[in-house]
Amino acid sequence: MNKNLVSYILSLTTKSGYSGVSMSTMQAFSDVPQERLLRALAEQLKLPLLQIARTAEFAQSNPDTNPEHLGDISYTADMALRLIDGYLLSVQMQSLPNLELEPVSLSAVLQDTAHRLSLLAQQYGCDVELNLAGKYEPVMANREALEAAYTSLGYAFIEALPAKDARHIVTLAVHRSNQGIVAGVYGDHPAWGSDVFKRGRALYGQARQALPVLSASSGAGVFIADALFDTMASPLRMARHHKLNGLAATLAPSKQLQLV
Amino acid sequence: MTRILLLEPDRKLAEVYRSFLESKGQEVVVAHHAQDAVMAADACRPDVVVLELQLVGHSGVEFLHEFRSYAEWWSVPIIVHTMVSPLSFGGDEMTLRRFGIVQYLYKPASTLQHLSDAINEYVPLTA
Repeated sequence: MNKNLVSYILSLTTKSGYSGVSMSTMQAFSDVPQERLLRALAEQLKLPLLQIARTAEFAQSNPDTNPEHLGDISYTADMALRLIDGYLLSVQMQSLPNLELEPVSLSAVLQDTAHRLSLLAQQYGCDVELNLAGKYEPVMANREALEAAYTSLGYAFIEALPAKDARHIVTLAVHRSNQGIVAGVYGDHPAWGSDVFKRGRALYGQARQALPVLSASSGAGVFIADALFDTMASPLRMARHHKLNGLAATLAPSKQLQLV
Repeated sequence: MTRILLLEPDRKLAEVYRSFLESKGQEVVVAHHAQDAVMAADACRPDVVVLELQLVGHSGVEFLHEFRSYAEWWSVPIIVHTMVSPLSFGGDEMTLRRFGIVQYLYKPASTLQHLSDAINEYVPLTA
């Protein structure tokens, strides 16, 4: 193959994964985290909006429209709206001088999240599992932020599942550690690793694909969740649950209720 | 019947595109990754490839490079159907032609019918 052509091909894939954009163009982007998150969100929203548009177009063109298409459109739109809400909440929380935390039942939050994600998961050939074995005291958190964070994270995990015929599982799980109560989202993605997440944190909002070994989209759900957990001083970290890799936050148990 | 190799990483989108194109009488083989697409091309001998550039793992550009390295596939037209805007891709017309890219469709701006029309333009539908 022509050497100049090969050079051109290689130049299209920079180390950042932002194909076709020169480094000088990338450096022109703002590095403000909220702006980066907004760009990642905007890039991510192309996917559900495209899914909605094309599903609706197909349903219109097909005289034997399957009512399931309307359900697909509805769940997809719901997830997109939750992503937007998660982002807006993270911006709002970051602007508060003192964020008030309260005792929150992790089990209740994760159960609600699993239910919310289950309909979307079905569309991706995936099951959502809950692993809440054991008794856990409430954690000090903001309930709305926890719900938004786990929903965003779950959505990102479901959307990033390897598209194979095998049935996949996304697990929401809790366990105890020396630092507190660890609750996260886990999946059978083969390529997860701490270096992947670390690179993603450096790339989101600067590259179209911040997690290119995991997701064809921007992975905004992961970074929206990260921003939300960060406001509660519990940033996301790589974690393992049985044989699954994932991302989890370590939350402080509510000492007040331990005395009750 | 036109045989289309559709390289689409999103399962839901792949299903919609596949269903629509099949309703137009075309045969569609779906691959979600670049590696799977090379194997699928070997198995199905596509008449046309519809290619998303933004993939998981190896990119669509890497697939393009590998696909065009095989002599038996030099003449297979490729329609790029992607989330990457033309401005971001930055390829000029001559470079696109060298890759055998016959059309560049930006997904947010292209309907299902646009895709079908593009395929029919380069690989006419046979009854």
